[in-house]
Amino acid sequence: MSELIKVTINEQDFEVEKGARLIDVCREKGFNIPSFCYYSDLALQASCRMCLVRIEKMPKLQTSCTITCTDGMIVTTQSEEIEKAQRAMSEFLLANHPLDCPVCDRGGECELQEMIFDWGDVEERFTEKKNVEPEKFLSPIVANDPQRCIVCKRCTRVCDEWMGEDAIEAGNRGVNTVIGTYGGWLNCSQCGNCIEVCPTGTLLDGVYRHETRPWELDQTITTDVYGSDGMQLSIGSRGGLVHRIVARDRYVNGLNGEFLDVKARFAHEFVNHPDRIKTPLIRYKKGGKLIPATWDEAIHFVGQKLTESGKNVGVVASPRLTNEAIFTLKRFAKEVVGTDNYAVSDRYDLSVFFDNLSAPLATHKEIRKAKTLVLIGGEPEEEQTFTAKQMRQAVRNDGAKLIIVNHTPIRLSAQASQFIHINPNSYDAFVLALTDSANDDANAKKLGIETKDLADFRQTLSETEGDTVVMFGGDLSPQAQSVLANSADAFDGTNAKVLFHPLPLYNNSVGANDLMEGKKSLSEVLKNSKALLIGGSLQEADTNLLANKDFIVVQELFETETTKYADVVLPAASFAEVDGTFTNNTGFVQRVRQAIEPVNQSKADWMITTLIAREMGADFGYNFSATMVFKAIADSVSAYEGLRYPALKDESKPVQVKHAISAKKDLSKEFDVLKSNVEKLSDEANKLTATPRVGHKLHRLTTLTSKTAQFHLLAHGNPKPENLLVSPLVQFNLDGTPRTETADAAAVGVTDRINLKVEY
Amino acid sequence: MEIKAIGCEPLQLKRMHIKDGHTLKVYQETGGYESLKKAMNMSQDDIINEVKASALRGRGGAGFPTGMKWSFVPRQSPKPKYVVCNADESEPGTFKDRYLLERDPHALIEGMLIAAFALGAAACYVYFRGEYRYLIDIMDKAIDEARAADIVGKNILGSDFSCEFFTHTGAGAYICGEETALLSSLEGYRGHPRMKPPFPAIEGLYACPTVVNNVETLTAVPQIIEMGGKAWQELGTEKSGGTKLWSVSGHVKKPGVYELPMGYKDLEKFIMEDCGGMLRDDKKLKAVIPGGSSVYIMNAEQIVGKGVTMDYEGLVVGGSMVGSGGFIVMDETVDVMESTKNLTEFYKHESCGWCTPCREGTDWLVKIFNRISEGGGRPEDAQLLLDICDNIEGKSFCPLGDAAAWPIQSAVKRFPEDFKKWLLNKTNGNGVVANI
Ligand SMILES: Cc1cc2nc3c(=O)[nH]c(=O)nc-3n(C[C@H](O)[C@H](O)[C@H](O)COP(=O)(O)O)c2cc1C
Ligand code: SF4
Ligand code: SF4
Ligand code: SF4
Ligand code: FES
Repeated sequence: MSELIKVTINEQDFEVEKGARLIDVCREKGFNIPSFCYYSDLALQASCRMCLVRIEKMPKLQTSCTITCTDGMIVTTQSEEIEKAQRAMSEFLLANHPLDCPVCDRGGECELQEMIFDWGDVEERFTEKKNVEPEKFLSPIVANDPQRCIVCKRCTRVCDEWMGEDAIEAGNRGVNTVIGTYGGWLNCSQCGNCIEVCPTGTLLDGVYRHETRPWELDQTITTDVYGSDGMQLSIGSRGGLVHRIVARDRYVNGLNGEFLDVKARFAHEFVNHPDRIKTPLIRYKKGGKLIPATWDEAIHFVGQKLTESGKNVGVVASPRLTNEAIFTLKRFAKEVVGTDNYAVSDRYDLSVFFDNLSAPLATHKEIRKAKTLVLIGGEPEEEQTFTAKQMRQAVRNDGAKLIIVNHTPIRLSAQASQFIHINPNSYDAFVLALTDSANDDANAKKLGIETKDLADFRQTLSETEGDTVVMFGGDLSPQAQSVLANSADAFDGTNAKVLFHPLPLYNNSVGANDLMEGKKSLSEVLKNSKALLIGGSLQEADTNLLANKDFIVVQELFETETTKYADVVLPAASFAEVDGTFTNNTGFVQRVRQAIEPVNQSKADWMITTLIAREMGADFGYNFSATMVFKAIADSVSAYEGLRYPALKDESKPVQVKHAISAKKDLSKEFDVLKSNVEKLSDEANKLTATPRVGHKLHRLTTLTSKTAQFHLLAHGNPKPENLLVSPLVQFNLDGTPRTETADAAAVGVTDRINLKVEY
Repeated sequence: MEIKAIGCEPLQLKRMHIKDGHTLKVYQETGGYESLKKAMNMSQDDIINEVKASALRGRGGAGFPTGMKWSFVPRQSPKPKYVVCNADESEPGTFKDRYLLERDPHALIEGMLIAAFALGAAACYVYFRGEYRYLIDIMDKAIDEARAADIVGKNILGSDFSCEFFTHTGAGAYICGEETALLSSLEGYRGHPRMKPPFPAIEGLYACPTVVNNVETLTAVPQIIEMGGKAWQELGTEKSGGTKLWSVSGHVKKPGVYELPMGYKDLEKFIMEDCGGMLRDDKKLKAVIPGGSSVYIMNAEQIVGKGVTMDYEGLVVGGSMVGSGGFIVMDETVDVMESTKNLTEFYKHESCGWCTPCREGTDWLVKIFNRISEGGGRPEDAQLLLDICDNIEGKSFCPLGDAAAWPIQSAVKRFPEDFKKWLLNKTNGNGVVANI
C-alpha cells in the first residue's frame, strides 16, 4: 500500500494514493469529468481539452488527465468558468463535425454524441460552411469517415502501444489533420482495435458497415472462440444472425478491456454461413453419400452402431469445444463405452506442463505488472495476442525486462532487453543450461550463443525485484516442457514470485486438458478403436488414421476432411449458439453464452453426446441444461470444485481454477532424453535471421487462418465458402512506388457489402 | 535595408558590415573564440552565474531568463546533455536571426560551445526553418572550419572537452519553432509539441537534459563572457539586460535590423527618427505590432507622447510585449480588420492540429473573417470573435493557441472603428456592435 495524501475536490477532503491521476480520482469520488483523449494505460495525449479543472495556485485551467495528485492540492471541477470551457470544447469539436448521426454506424454508442448531450450547448453558433472529406476505406475492414474525427489519437496510440504496429497515423496538420495510413491499405494485422477505441464514427467496422443500428442488436457477453487468452467480447445479434463482435467496454468488462484481435473481432461469418450442415446426415453405405436424416433416425442409428462396437469405441474431443461438451464426451467414454480410449485433438499435449507445474499460473494482469518476462520459444503475437499486448505494455510502460529465447528474431525481440538468439532445434540445450550452470560452455556452443549470455540471463533473473513470468509452449519438446514447468526455482529473483504462463493454441486447450484426465494420445486412440465418436474435426493430417473404421460419428458445423470418413454427421451448434464455459491460459473459467438460437437443426455438442448416451441407456442426469453439466464438472474435477454458473456471472471478476502445484520431481528420465537430444545437435548450425511477419496477412476473414487449422467445425484452410473475394493488399514504398510483391491474398467475403476497389 | 546599432556599440551586429565576417579567419581577427578560451578556464557554475548576472532573457519570444534555464539542467545526470539552437525564426515580422546566421555563424558556434561547456553537453544541434536551407551551407562550412581548427569535435582547443555539432532543417512549419515541437521534429517525429512538464532542461532531446535557446540568445553569450555579466546587463535595464535586435518592417522609411540597448527611449522616437519616420509623410501612424505577430497590436494613442520604453517591462506597461522583436509599423491606410484576418490565416495554416481549441478555433475564426471581408459581417461577430478567442486562450496545449487569440483580442478592442464598419448594417449603419 503506497502512501496516502490529502486532496480537496470541490471543498470535500479525500485521502488518495500518492501518484494517483487527478481525473481518475475525481471520477472515483463521483465528480463527472468529460474526456475524449484520456485512455488509462495509453500514453498521455492531453489534446481534447475536455477535462479542464481549476487547481489552486496554478495559473490556467489544467487538464486533469495529466495532473498527478500532490498533497494538499485544492481542486474545483465545477464552476462557471469550467463549464464555459467544457461547452467551448464541445462547440469546437462540433464545428466541422457533419452531425450525420442518423446515418452513422456509431450513432447510439458514440462518445461524442453522449458528451454533447451532457456538456454541449443548445445554441449552435457555428454558421459557416463545414469542411468536408470523402469517406474511404483504410483497409477492407477499416472503414473511415474522416469528417467525424476529433483527433483524439486513441487509434494511433493503440496501434502503436498495444499492437506494436504503428500502421495508422495522423497526416496533414491543423484543421486538415486526418487519420490515415502510410500509403496504400493499412499495412497491419487488421486487429480492428483502432475501430474499437474510436470514440466517434470515424473508424468503423467495414464488415458490419450499415447492417443495423447498434441499439437494434442484442448484446451477448461471451468468450473468444479462437485464442487461448479467453478474451471477453460481445456478440451483436439480431433475428438469429450474428452481425458483429466488439469488446466495447460499455458492454463488456473482461480481462482484455477493449482489446481483440482480427480473428476474435472479424472471423464470425462462419456462424451463419450457408454451408453450415443443416440436418443430421447418414452415410448408409461405405463409399456412399451423406443423406439428410431426422435427429431421431440419426441418434437411433448411432446408438445401434456404437452399441454393436462394444468396448471398441474411441472418443475424441476438440480443444475448441466447451468444457461441458468435452466433459460429456469423456463421460461417454468412461460410463457408456467403459473405455480409456479417449483423447483431445490438440496440437500439443498440455499434461506435461500441468503435471509438473511448480508455480502458479500468471494472470494477464500479473503479466502486465511483472518485472521480468521470460519467453522461451513461441510466437505470442500470432497465437496469444492479448498476452503479447500485455508483454509489450509491461516493457513499454513500466520498464519490465523482457528476455526472449528464440531460434528466430520474432518481432517482439525488438523490445527485449535480452534476446538470446539460439540455433534452430536447440531449446533442449537451453533448458539443460538453465537447470545446470556447470556446462555453460558446452551448452552455449550447442545453442550458438556466448557463455556470457547465459550468465547475463541468470543475473537478470537474480536481480529481479517483483514477479517473474516464464512463458513457453508446445514448440518445445515434451521433456523440455516438463523440466521447465518443474523448475520454478531456476527463475527465483531477490524477492520475486515466479509464475508460469503456458502458450496453448486453442480457446479451450487448458479446459480440455483439465477435464480429460487420463487421456491417451490421439494417434493411440485412433489406432486402438474400431468405431469413433468425434466432437469437432481433426486436423487434416490426422484424418488418414480414420480410414477403414467400422463406424465413425462426427459432431460438426461444416463438412470437412474428417466428415468424409463419417458414417453419421450430427450438426453441432457454434459457440454463439450454446451456453458453456472455456478455460483460458491463465486458468480462468469463463462463460460462453448463447447469443442466437442454434442455426438450422444444430444442437449443442454436449447435448448431442447426451442424446446418444440416452439412446444407449445411460442417463447423465443433466436434465438438458448446461448448468447441470457444469455442476457435474464441478462435482467431479477437483480444480473446479464448488463452481457454479452464478459464480462466473461477472466477466470483470473471472474465477481462476487452482491447478495443483507439484513438488520437485525426479525427472531424470526426461533429463536423459534432453541430454541425448543435445548431444546429437551439431555445433555448426545456421541461424534463422528472418523476422516472421506477424498477422500481416489479411486473414481469411470468413474462415480462419491456417494457424487455427482445426476449428471444430470449420476445418483447416477451409476451401468451402465460395464467396471469398481475393483482394491483394497493395503496399507502397516510402517513395510512393508500389511494392512489387503484393501481400497475401485477402479473403473478405463481403463483396456485396463493400464495393472494394483496388487501385494500383 | 538598415542594419545598425543605435544608442550602443554594435555587439550583435559587430560583424555585419565586416567583409568575410562569416569566416573563421576574420572572426578570430575580430576577437572571436577568445570568450570560449576564457570560459573554458572558468568553472561551470561561474559561467552560469555570469549569464544569470547579465539578465539575459530568451530572445525567441518568451523572454525566459537564460541563466536560470541553464541552471535547471541536472548536470550530474548520467544521461548525455544537449544544446539546441532554435533557428526556426518563423514568427511573422521577425528576420534578425538570419543575418546573424548568414554573417556571423561563428558567434553562434562560440555561444553554443560555451553553453555546452557550462552544461557538460556532448553535442550541439542547430535547427533551421525549412526555408533557411541556404543558411545551412554557411553554417556547415563554418562548423567544418572550426572543426579543422580544433574548435569543434574531439578535444576542443587541446582540452578534454569534446562537443559535436549538427545542423538540421525543418520542413516549413511554424510550430517547429516551439521548443518541444522542435525537439520532436529533430528526433524525426511529426512536429507536435510535447507535454510540459517535463521541461526540456530535464527531459528534452531523446529524453535527455536539453537547453533550447534562440540564435540571438546564444550569440549574446560570448559578449557576456567577454565583458562580464554585470557589465553586459548594465547596457540595458535591471531586469532586461544587454542589447536587443529589432526586425523593423512596414510603413517606415528605413526598415531593417536595429540593435538597441534594452530600455531604449522611446518607441515613438524610434519610429519617427531612427527608422526615418513614416514611409509616406502624409500618412499618419496607425498601429504597431512591436514583438512579432503573436503580441498585442498597439494603436497610435498608446504610442504617441506615451514614452514607451523598449524592454520587457516597458512594453508590458505600454500594452504589448517584446516577443521576438518583430516590429511591424502600419500607417492609416491599413485596415486592421484585414491585417488581423491575414494574421489569423497564418495561425490557422500553422496550427499543428493537436488540440481542439486551436485546431478548430483558428479555422472557425478564419471562416468568420472571410465572411466579414466578403461583406457578410454581422453586429454580433465582434462578440463572437472575442468569445472564440477567450475559449482558445489559456486552454490550448501549447502557446500557439494563445498567440492566435491575442492579436485578434487586441485588434477588436483597440481598433473598434475598423470592425464596426464591416459589421454594421451596410444600408443604414444600424446595429449595435457589442463589447467594443
Ligand atoms: C508557436 C511558437 C513558435 C515559436 N517559434 C520560435 C522561433 O521561431 N524561434 C525561436 O527562437 N523561438 C520560438 N519560439 C519560442 C521557443 O518555444 C522557445 O521559447 C525558445 O526557443 C527558447 O529560447 P530562448 O529562451 O533563447 O528564447 C516559439 C514558441 C512558440 C509557442
Ligand atoms: S487494425 Fe489494428 S494494427 Fe491495423 S491500424 Fe488498426 S489498430 Fe493498427
Ligand atoms: S479516428 Fe477516431 S480514435 Fe482516431 S483520432 Fe479520430 S476520433 Fe480519435
Ligand atoms: S495550440 Fe494545440 S493545435 Fe495549436 S499548435 Fe499548439 S498544440 Fe497544436
Ligand atoms: S482528457 Fe484531458 S485533454 Fe483530453
